[in-house]
Amino acid sequence: MLRFLASKFTQYALVLFIGITINFALPRAMPGDPIVLLAGEEAMRLSREQRLALLAEYDLDQPLLVQYVRYWQKLAQGDLGYSYVKRRPIAEMIAERLPWTLLLTGASLVLATLIGVALGALAAWKRGGRRDLGLLGLLIFLDSLPSFWVGMMLIALFAVRVPLFPAFGAVTPWAKLMGWDYVVDVARHLVLPLATLTIVSVPNIFLTTRYAMLSVLGQDFITVARAKGVKEQWVLFRHALRNALLPVATVFTLGLGFAFGGATVIETVFSYPGIGRLIFEAMSGRDYPVVQAAFLMITITVIAANILADLLYPLLDPRVRREGSAL
Amino acid sequence: MSARWRRNPLGWIGIGLLTMILAMAVGANWLAPYDPARLTGKPFEPPSPAHWLGTNDIGQDILSELIFGARVSLLIGVLSALIAIGIGTTVGLLAGFYRGALDALLMRLVDVMLIIPVFPLMVLLAAYLGQSLWNLVVVIGILGWARPARIIRSQVLSLTERDYVLAARAIGARNARIVWRHVLPGVLSLALAQFVLAASSAILTEAGLSFLGLGDPTQKSWGSMLYYAQARNAFLSGAWLWWVLPPGLMIAASVLGFALSGFALEDSLNPHLRAR
Repeated sequence: MLRFLASKFTQYALVLFIGITINFALPRAMPGDPIVLLAGEEAMRLSREQRLALLAEYDLDQPLLVQYVRYWQKLAQGDLGYSYVKRRPIAEMIAERLPWTLLLTGASLVLATLIGVALGALAAWKRGGRRDLGLLGLLIFLDSLPSFWVGMMLIALFAVRVPLFPAFGAVTPWAKLMGWDYVVDVARHLVLPLATLTIVSVPNIFLTTRYAMLSVLGQDFITVARAKGVKEQWVLFRHALRNALLPVATVFTLGLGFAFGGATVIETVFSYPGIGRLIFEAMSGRDYPVVQAAFLMITITVIAANILADLLYPLLDPRVRREGSAL
Repeated sequence: MSARWRRNPLGWIGIGLLTMILAMAVGANWLAPYDPARLTGKPFEPPSPAHWLGTNDIGQDILSELIFGARVSLLIGVLSALIAIGIGTTVGLLAGFYRGALDALLMRLVDVMLIIPVFPLMVLLAAYLGQSLWNLVVVIGILGWARPARIIRSQVLSLTERDYVLAARAIGARNARIVWRHVLPGVLSLALAQFVLAASSAILTEAGLSFLGLGDPTQKSWGSMLYYAQARNAFLSGAWLWWVLPPGLMIAASVLGFALSGFALEDSLNPHLRAR
């Protein structure tokens, strides 16, 4: 268990290191004036003194290595920089947006896993049967749809043609709802983006579960259980699914990055005020430091979610629980 | 392999879809009623005999955009998949053949690439590089090699244990010759299957990036069409039916075309996936 976690943590540290280094290097390696990339186009109209002050602010007047060390120091203090376009500290902008992305992505990960595992187990039960092929065809089709397009179609159908749910935002603006009304309002705004992200996330979980179930169902202990007269549902869910969940857990953690990537596009469609929408707004305003900070925050969130999954993984796999095991 | 391939109906559906889209891309000049860049109608026209799918926000023919979009989407998908598989195959060969420290290093890198949120990273890179078709190709290509690299490495690992590779070693063949003559041919068909699957996901990725406004404004892909449709709120009016629905279906058709062909190829190559 400890060795398993130690090797995972080295890996995450490496991811974080590379993510931060990319962020440091990008504005400095790109052609053009790094100060314009960091402080926006206004920087071109600054006086000489202001320009020098700004260079000093980003340590751009220092040798590269010093810049790099200072960059880490600032990050360690929670300083993500300043948005000259919005005239606000970027950390503040991120803090406002992050909860919405966590709500959308977290809810979708749970929902997609439940649906994907259930459907995958059902499909694998009778391989090649009508239900298996039907589900397989449907989910491979869903897997080929662009997430943002699914969102646009859901808006056209369920917000415009049949106005069931709001199409934009996370809460009704200026409504100042309190207590339970606020919760209902948030939930109603969440329905369509959540449905979109879930629709595009289910296929991967489904395909993995189905495949894992098929290989488990072919093994001897399943035949033995059946021969003993164990009930079919019990065989399926207690004996087979229990073992098939291991690869699903791996796909789940690999899917974390995908889910946050998907959220980037889907939040844009629904004007949902999360990190993804922030990226889109910042890109349109050429506010590169904000795009960078948002990328960094997504990376950190994905790593945190991975760590959480690693800590829960031993619950699924008793072999990892044993100290000093081969893993 | 070929017998299995012939029996797989999904593979044939995939080939059919790809042929259709390829025909569209190649024959765009003859098939499209108008030059998609020209203003041939009033803005926001609904479908009519002159414009089967109406016109967009500035009066360009949507059907022509859709047909020419096949070129852009296919080109970006195929080229970036080529880059991804080129890098992936090289990494897989190096790691699997030389093993040891190089293998450990490269596989660590693969792990990192699989954890890092690749799509936001692509957005970041494309935003810095600017809107162009080639930038999208490069960005999608250089960030999509991790999964193929890992798959090809494991194939290389098993190939290097084969007798004919040991025999080549025993007679003193140089490493480069062994890789080129004996290992590479063994992974080519696997690399082809991975290439087809990579093209499928590259088309989807390109659509996402173009939808965020990172596509080339002078060469509109299906994703860029949807970017403009979204920016002009087309899905709030009846226009969703002729402006939003068709590009999405075309993306789905080409993604599906590549994916089904890729699955069928993979299936015919990998005996483990076969039905017992």
